[in-house]
Amino acid sequence: MQTKTGPFLRSTLTIEKIMYDVLLALLPAVIAGVVFFGHSALVVLLLSTLSAVITEAIFLRAPFTVKGILGDGSALVTGLLVGLILPPTTAWWIPVLGSFLAISLVKLAFGGIGHNIFNPALGARAILLLAFTSQLVKFTVPFDTITAATPLLTSRSFSWSLVWGNVGGSIGETSVIAILLGAIYLLYKGHINWRIPVGYVGSAFALALLLGLDPWYTITAGGLLFAAAFMATDMVTSPVTPVGELLFGIGCGVLTIVIRQFTPFPEGVTFAVLTMNALAPILESITIPTIFGVSLSKKTRVQTGVVAASVFVVLIGILFSINIIRPTVTPIISNNEHLPITEMLGSADFEVVYEDGVTYYLTRDNEGDPAEVVLIASQGGFNAPIEFLLVLDNKHEIQDIKILDHKEDPGLGELITRDSFLRQFVGLDQNSPFGLGEDIQGITGATISSRALASGVNKAFDKFADTFYPQEGSSLLTDGTYKGKANSFGGVLEVEVDVSSGKISRVEVTKHTDTPGISDGAFAKVPGRIVDQNETKVDAVSGATVTSDAIMKAVQNALDSASTDQVDQSSAGFEIAVDDGIYQGSAKGFGGNFVMDVTVKEGKITELQVVESNETPFIADSALKKLLPAILEAQGPVDTISGATVTSKAVFEAIENALGAGEDTSESTQSQKSFNISVGDGVYQGSAKGFGGDLVIEVTIKSGEITELEIVESKETPFIAEGAFKRLIPAIIEAQGPVDMISGATVTSNAVMEALENAISIKEAR
Amino acid sequence: MIAKTFPRGGGEIPHRKAATESKPIVAMPAPSVVVIPLIQHIGAICEPLVSIGDKVKMGQKIGEGKQYICAPVHSSVSGKVVAIEERPSLNGNKVLSIVIENDEKDEPISGESNKKILKLSPEAMCKTVREAGIVGMGGAGFPTHVKFQPPMPVDTVLINGAECEPYLTCDHRLMVEKAAEMVGGLLAIMRATGAANGIVCIEDNKPDAIAVVTEAIKDHPELSVEALQVRYPQGAEKQLIKAVLDKEVPSGCLPCESGCIVNNVHTAIAVYEALTEGKASYERVVTVSGGSVVDPRNVLVRIGTSIKELLDFCGGLLGEPGVIISGGPMTGQEVTSLEGPVVKALSGILALSKEEAFFDKNLPCIRCTLCVQACPMGLTPNLLGEYSSKGMFKNAEKLNIDDCIECALCSYVCPAKRALITWIIDGKAGLAAERAKEKVS
Repeated sequence: MQTKTGPFLRSTLTIEKIMYDVLLALLPAVIAGVVFFGHSALVVLLLSTLSAVITEAIFLRAPFTVKGILGDGSALVTGLLVGLILPPTTAWWIPVLGSFLAISLVKLAFGGIGHNIFNPALGARAILLLAFTSQLVKFTVPFDTITAATPLLTSRSFSWSLVWGNVGGSIGETSVIAILLGAIYLLYKGHINWRIPVGYVGSAFALALLLGLDPWYTITAGGLLFAAAFMATDMVTSPVTPVGELLFGIGCGVLTIVIRQFTPFPEGVTFAVLTMNALAPILESITIPTIFGVSLSKKTRVQTGVVAASVFVVLIGILFSINIIRPTVTPIISNNEHLPITEMLGSADFEVVYEDGVTYYLTRDNEGDPAEVVLIASQGGFNAPIEFLLVLDNKHEIQDIKILDHKEDPGLGELITRDSFLRQFVGLDQNSPFGLGEDIQGITGATISSRALASGVNKAFDKFADTFYPQEGSSLLTDGTYKGKANSFGGVLEVEVDVSSGKISRVEVTKHTDTPGISDGAFAKVPGRIVDQNETKVDAVSGATVTSDAIMKAVQNALDSASTDQVDQSSAGFEIAVDDGIYQGSAKGFGGNFVMDVTVKEGKITELQVVESNETPFIADSALKKLLPAILEAQGPVDTISGATVTSKAVFEAIENALGAGEDTSESTQSQKSFNISVGDGVYQGSAKGFGGDLVIEVTIKSGEITELEIVESKETPFIAEGAFKRLIPAIIEAQGPVDMISGATVTSNAVMEALENAISIKEAR
Repeated sequence: MIAKTFPRGGGEIPHRKAATESKPIVAMPAPSVVVIPLIQHIGAICEPLVSIGDKVKMGQKIGEGKQYICAPVHSSVSGKVVAIEERPSLNGNKVLSIVIENDEKDEPISGESNKKILKLSPEAMCKTVREAGIVGMGGAGFPTHVKFQPPMPVDTVLINGAECEPYLTCDHRLMVEKAAEMVGGLLAIMRATGAANGIVCIEDNKPDAIAVVTEAIKDHPELSVEALQVRYPQGAEKQLIKAVLDKEVPSGCLPCESGCIVNNVHTAIAVYEALTEGKASYERVVTVSGGSVVDPRNVLVRIGTSIKELLDFCGGLLGEPGVIISGGPMTGQEVTSLEGPVVKALSGILALSKEEAFFDKNLPCIRCTLCVQACPMGLTPNLLGEYSSKGMFKNAEKLNIDDCIECALCSYVCPAKRALITWIIDGKAGLAAERAKEKVS
């Protein structure tokens, strides 16, 4: 006989009781879901639960009784969880399939309860999300049936409706109150402990702070809180050790935010928790607790302390550096809200230009050219125009891009509003190709919308150039007849273009091998459109796009040759304003400073020598070998050497600097502006708008000179502004006039000088 | 003031002491035949000192071993040796035993009465205790005289009156009824070991015992009573020391490493009786309880009495019991042979009804972490159990399986009713066997 083994008393807690307690804890979320989303939510929940229970009963060949079919209740929990993380409007077969997959593939295939590696409900959701994306992201507004997006995609800031839960989202994930009620019950019952939820929510909160997101929004929107309470705490798939649990929670939180912010997925919870599920055994094995009777040695304690302290210091460092890199968080704008143009431009002194369907808000530089620009343009999207905003810095590189309005499909085209997609535009300029797969990676499921935005931005740049730099347009064409070629559908296509009084007056296709009939429309209409609009980019003829494009390209080629001729004729050569001699000039190249000696004899450049170069060896060398003789021959800038564009440009610039050097210095001493001090000795105050608000300075004038300058009030970014002040003030006093801006603190520098001028001019006015 | 307890793990379990905790100890008449096993302790087995046909007196030494860790055995009745043979013990294993027929005279061996115990030298005390065959009566059965000579100086002697196992009340009743003897025993142990302090540790669900013992020590400033929180396993040696003295006995070490020794209530009384009356360890108090026992009570019973007779003395059984246990329900073992005799370390015989008794179901582990949270030693019982049951003893060793105190709380809290502690105990044995094998090769 087998001896019975102790203990002969057991706690009354059973797996069934735990499962029914979890069901009870889910009840508030179920009620909230049904209240907010109506009977469709109830149907989803019933279907998912039923499917899970039936699947398990069939696979386990359970006896055909109520108790046998319900089993230990774990299938009920899994089924309900599957339903709660689905949108209420999903198709009926989604919850059925989801629960089937959760039970069969994610749970039973691994050996059933206790043996599954991944959380069954989340595993099923991951499969559904990848296979039937649109079914998983069609959310509705509560009390309504209008399809809307989850708040994760539409807003970025906290609101109390997130707490109550009357926002779009998955059935069980929207109501913070309901989730907290359930979590508190489970904590009270001891089925979960604080470590995973606190680690999860806490790390997400902290990371959101670090990244400059709204932390309260981050933890209340989407499925984060639901997962922290019910998914990550799943006993089977989380570590058993206390420290392991904490690390598990923290990992979930960090991954969720990382996935939300830096990948095209709108929600990071599913993959974050599943990833941590896979890591749970490792976390467990490295966090086996110190047992009773084993005290940590002093060395170990010191080591642990040092490691913890350094991690802390590094985190604080990251916090600071992120704050410094991103001094302000640009508030997100929507169509009806105030656009913080002033903050974007860093100046309240901007002009507004509306031209060709694009609105520009811009500041001007000293030469009157646009400096910093905010432009709002639109481009046809999948459903309706996408309205977007670009912030360009003074080099006209994209600093920021925002979608203001769009009607793209929720969860699909809508994904273009993700930061991870938009961030790709930052740093691009008018020379960028804006091609999908080139500099912009399109979003799977949102290709058309991605392409629309990319080409919209491209067109906006074209229009910007047309509007503000018209001399570069086609109006400079020299009269004459030009020929051009381009590849078309059937082969090479040739055109002849007449230019008279600087405009395209005739376009004729002289040769083509395209299919008659199909391409006829293009031949008939495109040349006319080009002449009418005096532009090479016109609307293509539908059904004959390739041919249309080829015609346009050929015309462009023809005109390009026209412009090149013109360049040769005109005085695009270097302006040699210096006497004979050797002049040095420098410019910024690819690798750093680039210095050249230029020898001028009888008004001509006779010799070019590179004095200092930090360019890439080989590439630059061969480029220079070709470039320098060409320059000597042309006595001016020539075509850049491909692969060494930057270096080529640096060469031109250095030569220009060398030739203009003498002139420059004389001019700069003559023309250096100084403040017009028309006030008597005394202390004066003046103010101006800075980056963060009003900036007030006090200036002391003694015998007509600025002797002292003090910042009285400043709301500028700490560190940055202070450093700027330190360098700026002595410089101004020395120059007795405006000085170069401190880079990184341009706005502040400007404000200081403006305030100074104000201080002096106020008195003047009196 | 909040009662002290150990800080890590532990849990609340039912007490179920009501049936016997207020019942005075009843002496059971000696049975007609006693079976005295030659080993009732941890250590080496004794050699019989008598042969078949010999007449023996009550308290006469009948078995003795030469090894240091060994305790002699004594006859619990006067009568005639009828057999020296292997008899089943409580768990069914055969043990060499001396069978004595009772002549019903209870003729005691002439013991030296010595009321001046405080004048005995520590060495003499140690010798007397060994001669009396005293072993730890809380359940472990470790020869007490060994504890009298700790390898390093100790300053505190703890009397373990926690009695944290459900049902058991023998220590409780002894503290109430024999507090003076217990205090005498404590003072003797302190003198023998050179310890300056003595503390009686009692869980605060025994207020009457606390009151009586407090009264009994009032003339001894070096003694104190510590009321402890009711929390299992409060009575485990290491947890008791942690709770009372806030010292952690280092892993793999004896309590004397922390400057203290721990003795059971009943052991202290036996020590006192041995030193004052020369009484050998031939009888003890056993709690007979459980839902299947007609008249649960605390019984003073002779060593060698069969379990069947003991149960009969308590009115017999109500129908078929779920399980009969020797010791407490948490750490005790199933009694498979009712012919088996009462031994020195037996604290209780429990006949649990089918409704009371729970057994392993071994459902899959759902990794709920309750066992990890409950383990008073900070172990990970789910992993230890898993490794042990699969024979992966070396993996279990890395997770400190040797530190398990076998309190069985992990199995108690397990919602899947897994046989965690059984696997772990097997794993410890398996690991020891593997180590022995390695030593040989």
